Amino acid sequence: MAPIIQTINLTKKFGDFVAVDHLNLSIEEGEIFGLLGPNGAGKTTTLMMITTVIKPTEGTAIVGGHDVRSEPDKARNLIGIAFQEPKLLWVDKVIDVLNWHAKICGLSKSERKVRVKWALEEIDLWDARNKTIHSLSGGMRKRVEVAKLLIQRPKIAIIDEPTAQIDVVGKHRIWNMIRALRDEGSTIILATNELNEADVLSDRIAIMHRGKLLVCDTPKNLKDSIPGGDIVEVKLEKELPEKTLRAVKELDEVVNLVKVKPNHIRFHLNRSETVTPKIMEIFWRNNAPVLSIRISEPSLDDVFLHYTGLTIEEAERLTPRAKKP
Amino acid sequence: MKAIIYIIERDFKRFFRYRWWLVGLISMNLADLFIMALVYTKMVRSEILASYFRFFSPGITITALFAAAFMIGREVNWEVRRDYASYLLSLPIKRWELAFGRVLSGGLRGMVYMAPLLLTTFVFLGSPTIFQLFIILSALFLIAIGTSSLSISIAASITSFEKFVTARGVVYYLLFFCSTVFYPINLMEQLKEQGVLPPFMVDLARNNPLSCGADLIRSFLLNSPEFTPYLIINLVAYAFIFVVLGALTYVKMLQRTR
Repeated sequence: MAPIIQTINLTKKFGDFVAVDHLNLSIEEGEIFGLLGPNGAGKTTTLMMITTVIKPTEGTAIVGGHDVRSEPDKARNLIGIAFQEPKLLWVDKVIDVLNWHAKICGLSKSERKVRVKWALEEIDLWDARNKTIHSLSGGMRKRVEVAKLLIQRPKIAIIDEPTAQIDVVGKHRIWNMIRALRDEGSTIILATNELNEADVLSDRIAIMHRGKLLVCDTPKNLKDSIPGGDIVEVKLEKELPEKTLRAVKELDEVVNLVKVKPNHIRFHLNRSETVTPKIMEIFWRNNAPVLSIRISEPSLDDVFLHYTGLTIEEAERLTPRAKKP
Repeated sequence: MKAIIYIIERDFKRFFRYRWWLVGLISMNLADLFIMALVYTKMVRSEILASYFRFFSPGITITALFAAAFMIGREVNWEVRRDYASYLLSLPIKRWELAFGRVLSGGLRGMVYMAPLLLTTFVFLGSPTIFQLFIILSALFLIAIGTSSLSISIAASITSFEKFVTARGVVYYLLFFCSTVFYPINLMEQLKEQGVLPPFMVDLARNNPLSCGADLIRSFLLNSPEFTPYLIINLVAYAFIFVVLGALTYVKMLQRTR
């Protein structure tokens, strides 16, 4: 099946500054696709090109079979977007914002009535429906922004930094809304610089840095791609004989082995879930009883560090920004 | 087409949200007419103008229309500065629907705002025939959409509010004072010959769409100046040029400033 979105050498320059550099991505229908990277990585610019808000300098994106350069109207018809900074007029009432959005997206009067009420209840703002945007908290405004998508139910829903500056409860509420949207049949593109968010929500993640795509895969494969990324710490009743250690070292997935104490070994492994049982079997056969095991997986921060040599915070600090035209 | 109606609906709601402010503005326009123009009637020599009040009534109608239709620019400029324009550009509607929706809503808001002043003019200067009314309303509509387009093209091209306000001031003063809204062209011609007014000012006044609009109403209601087809041609050209320019600039500039 053809991907629902494909970017082909998608590039955007602002003067001499290259915000997005020959980006090639394929997004499948029905997936939650995470676009991960520090601020200034080019995520928002990429989304703006896909939504036809800005034109690419070079390359193109095919959205639902429509080229954003030659058929922008058709491409835009498939897309809805929740912006990083909610795009709301402060003097408007919440219900008026959503009603108008529903109208302009082509919902009939009866559909509008049902969906706006449902969305307001989903975002827990039904009681605040007649309040002006001005009187809402930052989190509430963000929920109104995402509610536009819940009402529109676009084929492709783009959500830019959905939980930036949102408290934990609000985050989980928005995450549930994103999952609900996917369950309704939308393909989701989620741009975020929050590693945990990308990890928890995304089926696949593309990591961007300085306008370029570094890597794209499932969160699990990305973590597995770090050699020796999984760490297993084993405490034994007694010191491990050299023969047993050698047998463990011979396993392909064992990248490194550190003797913390005579009876405390730290293994750096690939695919810990498949190799740990094999190690335990070797210990059992060599009569080395295990007291405790602790397994820790690499995080996406480790993945980012592996591909860039920088933590996401360092990358954010060192990323050059475009001057606003 | 539905999208255009929804855009107009939105812009109208925004405009009439501050209805008491609008009432205040219209009251000021009426005060210009009923206080200033009445006093000027006593001040101006009758061989220049028989009644300044009757002369100025169509003029204030046109300036009110112009000012109200120009207000859309302030909103567009705000949308550009606050990046609200990205939301409008991302909506599942065609670009021309968005652009013409904004142009039309700006123009129609001007028409609604101007209505009490036009009615006042009819009350004091006499009612036009149905045909004349049709021509007058059509002419005013052309001025309204031309002005809202002019305003939108300026607003979308300038990202600084300060520069926008300055540009708006320049346009206002140029079009208001180099026109026949406040004074008759004959007087301007005399002052040009005396070297008081520079020639370009009189030429601009003669070809200014605001002059044409005011003179068109005067020609029907006061029989002076004489009606000429040029008045209509001028307004059609003004509306056509600026609607096309405004709509194109709006979309192009919004996309460029992202």
